[in-house]
Amino acid sequence: MTQSLLLSRRSFLIGCSVAASPLLTPVTFAAAPGENRLVVVVLRGAMDGLDVVRPLGDPDYLNLRPSLAADAATSLDLDGFFALHPAAKPLMPLWQTGELAFAHAVATPYRQGRSHFIGQDALENGTGGADGRLTAAHDGWLNRALSVMPGANAQTAVSVGQQRLLILEGESDIQHYFPVEESTLSAQGQALLAQVNAADPLFAKPFAEAQALAVSSMGEAVPKGGVDHAQLGTYVAEQLLGPSRIASLSLGGWDTHHSQARTMAEQLTALSDMLLAMKSGLAGHWGTTLVLAMTEFGRTARENGTFGTDHGTGGAMFAAGGALKGGRVLGEWPGLGDGALLADRDLMPTRDLRSFAGHALRGLFGIKGAAIEQAVFPGLDLGADPGLLL
Amino acid sequence: MDAASLLEEIRFGYGPRRGAVLAADVLDVDRVLAQLTAPDSAGATWDRPGMADRFALIDQYNRQKKTLAGVSSAVAAALKQTVLDDDATFIGRPAFADAGFVERLVNLWANRITISNASGGVLRYYQSFRDEAIRPHIATRYADMLRATLWHPGMQNYLTQTNSFGPNSVAGMKKGRGLNENLAREFLELHSMRTGFSQTDVTELAKLLAGMANDEKGQRVDVRRVEPGRKTILGLNFDDIDPEAEINRLVEYVALRPETAHNVGFTLARHFMADDPPEDLVAALATTYLAHDSALPPLYRVLLKHPAARSAARLKLRSPQEYVSATLRLLGLTEAAAAPVMAKLVRKFPGALAAMGQPPFRALRPDGWPEVSEGWLTPPMVAARLDWAVDLARRAGDRIDPVDMAQTALGTYASPLILQAVGRAEQRWEGLAVLLGSPEFSRR
Repeated sequence: MTQSLLLSRRSFLIGCSVAASPLLTPVTFAAAPGENRLVVVVLRGAMDGLDVVRPLGDPDYLNLRPSLAADAATSLDLDGFFALHPAAKPLMPLWQTGELAFAHAVATPYRQGRSHFIGQDALENGTGGADGRLTAAHDGWLNRALSVMPGANAQTAVSVGQQRLLILEGESDIQHYFPVEESTLSAQGQALLAQVNAADPLFAKPFAEAQALAVSSMGEAVPKGGVDHAQLGTYVAEQLLGPSRIASLSLGGWDTHHSQARTMAEQLTALSDMLLAMKSGLAGHWGTTLVLAMTEFGRTARENGTFGTDHGTGGAMFAAGGALKGGRVLGEWPGLGDGALLADRDLMPTRDLRSFAGHALRGLFGIKGAAIEQAVFPGLDLGADPGLLL
Repeated sequence: MDAASLLEEIRFGYGPRRGAVLAADVLDVDRVLAQLTAPDSAGATWDRPGMADRFALIDQYNRQKKTLAGVSSAVAAALKQTVLDDDATFIGRPAFADAGFVERLVNLWANRITISNASGGVLRYYQSFRDEAIRPHIATRYADMLRATLWHPGMQNYLTQTNSFGPNSVAGMKKGRGLNENLAREFLELHSMRTGFSQTDVTELAKLLAGMANDEKGQRVDVRRVEPGRKTILGLNFDDIDPEAEINRLVEYVALRPETAHNVGFTLARHFMADDPPEDLVAALATTYLAHDSALPPLYRVLLKHPAARSAARLKLRSPQEYVSATLRLLGLTEAAAAPVMAKLVRKFPGALAAMGQPPFRALRPDGWPEVSEGWLTPPMVAARLDWAVDLARRAGDRIDPVDMAQTALGTYASPLILQAVGRAEQRWEGLAVLLGSPEFSRR
């Protein structure tokens, strides 16, 4: 049943390119970029990096996470200090072949608040402002990267998904595809809708019954988001087998204020499905591909009273792909003990998330360091090369 | 036209439009009433052909149908397109309207005096009924509106008046046909008095109305269908010398009955204020109605001046049409830049409205769409509202601040709960979905 639903949704395939752009001149069109590929996945809702890449070697970790780390024994050891969440097990083969890495204790420069909306904008815009204020053009850093990328043209980058992504918005022309009808609300969105409807005497009852109907008509709970994430990964791969070399998409649902154990397992399954489908779809081109999956901020070091975590600061970034020098957890670990946490609550960020993206752009597409520090991420100090790429 | 206040937009319009400057949040009675005499921008922008043009097209269709070649694809397509464009108008006018109060009144009266395509055959007339029988009369006398709607081809067709023959008329005797009481009954029971008449009055009225006709040949009485002799309706005698004048005299008399005054007052008060409207307001409206020879603008003034008009409690539920229009206005989808989103949405209007319980132009019964909240609150209808909220938010909600949107939509009427819930969503579009799917957004 689910299968036929998805097949019918394929018929929604809609592609549209933005109107003519300065990049579509014969001169710039003539030069095509090389074989390297970059996929940026925006993980919306603030992924709990401390749950995904667990610092089991840190003596304070288990105390901070009494229920969330209850399954610590089934975590998948990475390097003796960090261990991967059990639900990400399908990715372990990538770790073993050096096609998976993480950067930990990273964050955007946004500090003056923990708003999803501002945080996601800051992440996609690439601003250096601690207040999260967007740069003047209100565009995305990946779009600005196109403007300084040798050989880039209007086919180079593709934004995949119904939502247009700020990260690829701006002066440079891009492609926009949405191959499938996408997600319904995240678990958090559904909970909020239920909350506001339950508070109204007229709506409380019919809303509850409507929810029950939605579950029973399928004979089971509606599959999360209704999206086949493997299919989405395959679709991204198909785009990158054509003229596109950069793709961006988003995956929501990481806002785990309660019942995190269940939601996190579903989220990591979805992300794993997507990444593995990309690898499979790209086949021989996986070797020149880098996938970065980044989130707006991390979550509180301590779990909260509803078996979840609240909005924090430092978090983790996924990196995958054959172009990666993986099998490592990058970054400087700040510790979780007394005085080590930011505001006594969040993992302290030790490196600007943007520097990893900047080094990746330099290594993959030959963008000059100066252009990255001026045009792509204005004001960024790229710092030492973390050696992300082979 | 002067900018409206938030309260005026919510209670007496279709909600605030994104980017529109609002007046200070008070209710200004004169400002609202000024809409009635301002240039009709929504009617002009969404101009639709009148009955004369429609008859020309229908006539062409009927003539071609009799030929060997059949109906040309051009004529068939023109008829189809006419109906599609009429459908779009159902949302287009309220969604784009400057004068929300005017559109609300058009829809209110077109619902109180309903025609519907539920049984087919009425679609070609429907928009003309709203434009030529209802719209010109929202600020005249109710008696005039009753006369215009009674005679309109859409009404004649919907309530099968075209099939009614005086049993003793020339044509009735020849064909063995008799009365059809449909229009006579609904005129008294729904359009005007509601109470205070008998079955005898209905039958006598049916006799008086027999022979009414309004088609491509114009408005007239077909003498061959007229029932001969005197009719006694509500104790008043009507004769058969000049049937058209007698029908109009009956309409005038019924319009000015106290039962009709009460019905009109109740209809207005219930639509704008509460499912159980304040009794003093209904009484004041009825008194005003009779004191002003059924003129409607004085009633609107009484309505707007009543304390319930300024109450912060929003007791009424937006109908699906009002709800969908309000979502589009809030998102600014009425601007040219939003054309691509709108182009996709226009095709969704009829289906979405049907799922919410209000298929455009297809009310199930002659008493129209529900005017009380319960009518829109079955679980599937609520689910359909949520579907619309989520679908629209996903399409249009990625560049907005949902908390700002909540402030725009609800202003000081927003509860702390809704502001907090909208702000806690993990993505912008989800925050917007929570707002649009909230009971607070559905209330007015």
